[in-house]
Amino acid sequence: MRIITAGAVAVTDTPANHSGPGAPTGRVLVLLDGSRMSYAALDAAADIAAKTGADVLGVFVEELNLLRSAGFGFAREVGSESGVSRPFGPAELEQRMQRLAEQVRCALAGAAARYGGRHALSITRGSVVDEVLALAGPNDLLVLGRAGWSSAPGVRLGSTAKGLLRRSPGRMLLWCDRQVSSQGRVVVFLNDHDDANRRATMAATDVVRHSHQPVTLLLGVGADIPPDHLELIKRDLGVSDSDFRVRTLPSTDPAAVAQVLRQERAAQLVLSRDCTLLREPGAEHLLAALNLPVTITP
Amino acid sequence: MPVPAPLTEDQVYHGCPSEKLDFITTDDLEDLEQPCGQDRVLRALEFGASMQAGGFNLFVLGPSGAGKHEFVERFLSQHAAREPVPPDWCHVYNFRYSDRPTAIRLPAGEGQQFKKDLNDLAEELRTAIPATFESEEYQARIQELQEETAKRQHQGLFDIQDEANRNNIAMITTPAGFTFAPMRKGEVIDPEEYKNFSDEEKQLIESKVEELQKKLQQTIQQIPRLRKDVRARIHALNEEMVQLTLGGPIGELREKWSHLPDVVDYLDAVREDVVEHAEVFQDSENGPPVGLLARYRANLLVDNADTVGAPVIYEDLPNHQHLTGQIEHRARQGNLYTDFTLIRGGSMHRASGGYLIIDARRVLTQPMAWESLKRILLSGEIRIESLERLYGLVSTVSLQPEPIPVSVKVVLLGDRMLYYLLSHFDPDFLDLFKVEADFEDDLDRNDECYELYSRMIATMVRAQKMRPLERVAVARLIEHASRLAADQRKLTAHDRVLRDILTEADHWAGLCGADTVEASHVQQAIDEREYRASRVRERSREQISRGVVMIATEGEEVAQVNGLSVLRLGASMFGQPTRITATARPGKGQVVDIEREAKLGGPIHSKAVMILSRFIASRYAGEGELSLSASLAFEQSYGGVEGDSASVAETCVLLSAIARIPLKQSFAVTGSMNQHGEVQAVGGVNEKIEGFFDVCREAGEVREQGVLLPASNVEHLMLRADVRQAIAEQRFRIYPVSDINQAIELLTGLEAGEPAGNGEFPENSFNRRVAERLARFAEASKKQDDKGDANNNSGGSGSD
Repeated sequence: MRIITAGAVAVTDTPANHSGPGAPTGRVLVLLDGSRMSYAALDAAADIAAKTGADVLGVFVEELNLLRSAGFGFAREVGSESGVSRPFGPAELEQRMQRLAEQVRCALAGAAARYGGRHALSITRGSVVDEVLALAGPNDLLVLGRAGWSSAPGVRLGSTAKGLLRRSPGRMLLWCDRQVSSQGRVVVFLNDHDDANRRATMAATDVVRHSHQPVTLLLGVGADIPPDHLELIKRDLGVSDSDFRVRTLPSTDPAAVAQVLRQERAAQLVLSRDCTLLREPGAEHLLAALNLPVTITP
Repeated sequence: MPVPAPLTEDQVYHGCPSEKLDFITTDDLEDLEQPCGQDRVLRALEFGASMQAGGFNLFVLGPSGAGKHEFVERFLSQHAAREPVPPDWCHVYNFRYSDRPTAIRLPAGEGQQFKKDLNDLAEELRTAIPATFESEEYQARIQELQEETAKRQHQGLFDIQDEANRNNIAMITTPAGFTFAPMRKGEVIDPEEYKNFSDEEKQLIESKVEELQKKLQQTIQQIPRLRKDVRARIHALNEEMVQLTLGGPIGELREKWSHLPDVVDYLDAVREDVVEHAEVFQDSENGPPVGLLARYRANLLVDNADTVGAPVIYEDLPNHQHLTGQIEHRARQGNLYTDFTLIRGGSMHRASGGYLIIDARRVLTQPMAWESLKRILLSGEIRIESLERLYGLVSTVSLQPEPIPVSVKVVLLGDRMLYYLLSHFDPDFLDLFKVEADFEDDLDRNDECYELYSRMIATMVRAQKMRPLERVAVARLIEHASRLAADQRKLTAHDRVLRDILTEADHWAGLCGADTVEASHVQQAIDEREYRASRVRERSREQISRGVVMIATEGEEVAQVNGLSVLRLGASMFGQPTRITATARPGKGQVVDIEREAKLGGPIHSKAVMILSRFIASRYAGEGELSLSASLAFEQSYGGVEGDSASVAETCVLLSAIARIPLKQSFAVTGSMNQHGEVQAVGGVNEKIEGFFDVCREAGEVREQGVLLPASNVEHLMLRADVRQAIAEQRFRIYPVSDINQAIELLTGLEAGEPAGNGEFPENSFNRRVAERLARFAEASKKQDDKGDANNNSGGSGSD
């Protein structure tokens, strides 16, 4: 039995044993808040764990701000669909959190049962970003939906995703809410930052190792990668000539990037958070515009 | 009245001299296009097939095996070839009422093209529309639209969030919505700490929170309208793109089919439907659902592309479904599904604009088929409904295809009895089947007919791919056709019997290695058929020859005569003699028909006995009272007696019993009689004579035996060769009698005697002896009555 503690609240666990010999170095951390998007991310995390043999750690954080907001006498909740205002008290919120935690536990157990791997659930109380950062290590893959509950009224990149985008110690996979094609290409964005390119290539290698999808290298504006480097990247990726393509991005405008990705029938985008695309001011707009899974490497 | 002379060999058989046939084999003869001797049917068919008015459908009457079907089909095929080809029909999806597929009429042969065009269109839709949705233009526009809409949708939320943040209030997402709380440095203030705030501060915060909540409420409540607006704009964009994609192919089809407004309307409906379902085509991986594309296809129900002239359809199983068509179902995971592509046309659809030949008996024996047929003919349209629905056994939702107008000439084939029964019992029948085409059973046999009949045989031979018949074989067949017609002046029109004999003769010729069919092969075919059917006949004859069934063929006996009867078993019939006996004694003028008393006699036989009873009374009792108590019986008959062909024999045997005059047993008698003693024709004379001849031969040598038959039956004689031989050698005689007196004289050897002016018969004549014996019966009866009266009177006075 492994116990993870964080913040102020004790946490449960399940039979996973991370210290056993031969255990993978990294875990798959999946953020669960009970929203539809988080369950989609859980399925994706379970698939990855099934392929890599990694343990799955579900993370359910009871947001401190939320708990506090219910403590005010005047607090009311405005329904995201109906717009109806109703009383919002700590007792109801506690019950709701417990119910959600239970649902998350069942969903995690169900997903784990499908692939048969080890799993654990961490329930903490505090700031989501802080709690996740406290749990995640550099070798862990962080999987989360692009938006949690806020996706209901239409938010496409939630505050947690935004918060973790820059600070995640390891790779982060932002899952989307649409059916992901298994036949599309894995698009890897590269620019002239060698370390960033290397990390992105490694992440893409991990993806295609199991999915055997074709790969497109998307070169940023002004990226000057010698042909022999490209050849090395191809070798590292382990794909054949027919499954390998290189394209140059005409501009970093989010619409242009989205258009190229559509043309490539991209099933997943892999990029480093140090790359130019995410350094641009409109990076968040870009991520919001791309309705496909995005792996972001440190 | 003079006794008739026995018939000669020529009188009992109408041979066919081969000189009358002007050919060597049937190969020399041309095919006969129209059957000979069926002018009435031909005229009826010509009229019925040409008559356009409603209800002039045909009923072709004739016995089974007369070749009605082949004849009618051949005639109609020739007639229909000159008529225009009817249109094609197809069912297409009804976009307004999906359970009522639409029917579209197309010129003959264009149905296939229409179906192909729609298939091509569906195929194009399958690829072109998803391609449109994947196009850069569409993706860019949809992206813009979504961006703009998202922006509009979220702007309100962002604005509120901004306003809240500016006032140090956090807008926090909850699992079900949003809430507001005061914050400091990005974190919500602890509620405990908040309690320490001044009332002023609290009021300020709470009023702001309340204001924000209201704004949020308003903003959220506008979201559905925004979403609806987005959907409408996306739909409009989809429509625009699909319209552009479809513009080409649908435009081409509209132009191609501009001569058919129904098709143009349908194509417009397809375009509207595709536009309406544009989103379904967006799945580029799986493509649009098969079910959706199936809606744009055509179900070609009637395809007259290869039809020449008007169609002539023969429905060999005319049940409800085969006539009116049916809606099939496909089983999928235990459930039954159907759609307009599973509508199957019936023979009425295929025959529309032409002719439908149906066997009347079959259509009458199929549940609801007759009613459905009448319903179509009365309404002039075909409505496809399942039998279960017609019976009200199921009420599940199913298709109701648009009725298809039909103009079909129905030709029913059946026997006469069916026609008369339907005429009598079905009030619709004569309204719907106004043309009666009555098949001739027999054809006239005259010099002109030989060539036609030979050509008819030649046509059959060629149609059956048989060896040609030699002239003598045809002659033999013509003679046999007369025998089958049981008339020297007729030939049978029974197609099946002739064809069977021809086929069999060809078989025997083949076994002999002959290249042509000879007369001997025809004779062998006739004999073999005879032999195969002879088991019962031979058992019956055996009973007679062994004396189990008593028949005398020589000597004389009082009150006993040989009658002749015919037995029909299946397709064969044979004759045999039956002993008829009588008794007579004084009585109350009664002749007891023992057969009737035993309920073995039919009504016609009873009538004949009553007739002979009244004949005897009127001839012999005159104005006096007939004192007779007589009885008649068919000895050793256990199967029932019907018909009046034994009335001559019964009269003779009864008179023999009365007068106690013996009758010659070497004769057998057949013929019916009226109340004046005139002898009338009967049926089956050939079989009766041959039956008695065979019995005589098996009893010993045929010598001096013979048969008395009505003179009017002479022209029906077509006797076997061995009987004719015996007649030629005068060992067997056939006497044609026209009056009962002739029969009496032949059977007794006595003069019958004509009554004089005073009504008395000549002395020693047969009739005189009958009259005298009856007079003695009357006296005896009178004495008996007087004695009875005296007894009654004395008894009465005694009692007084």
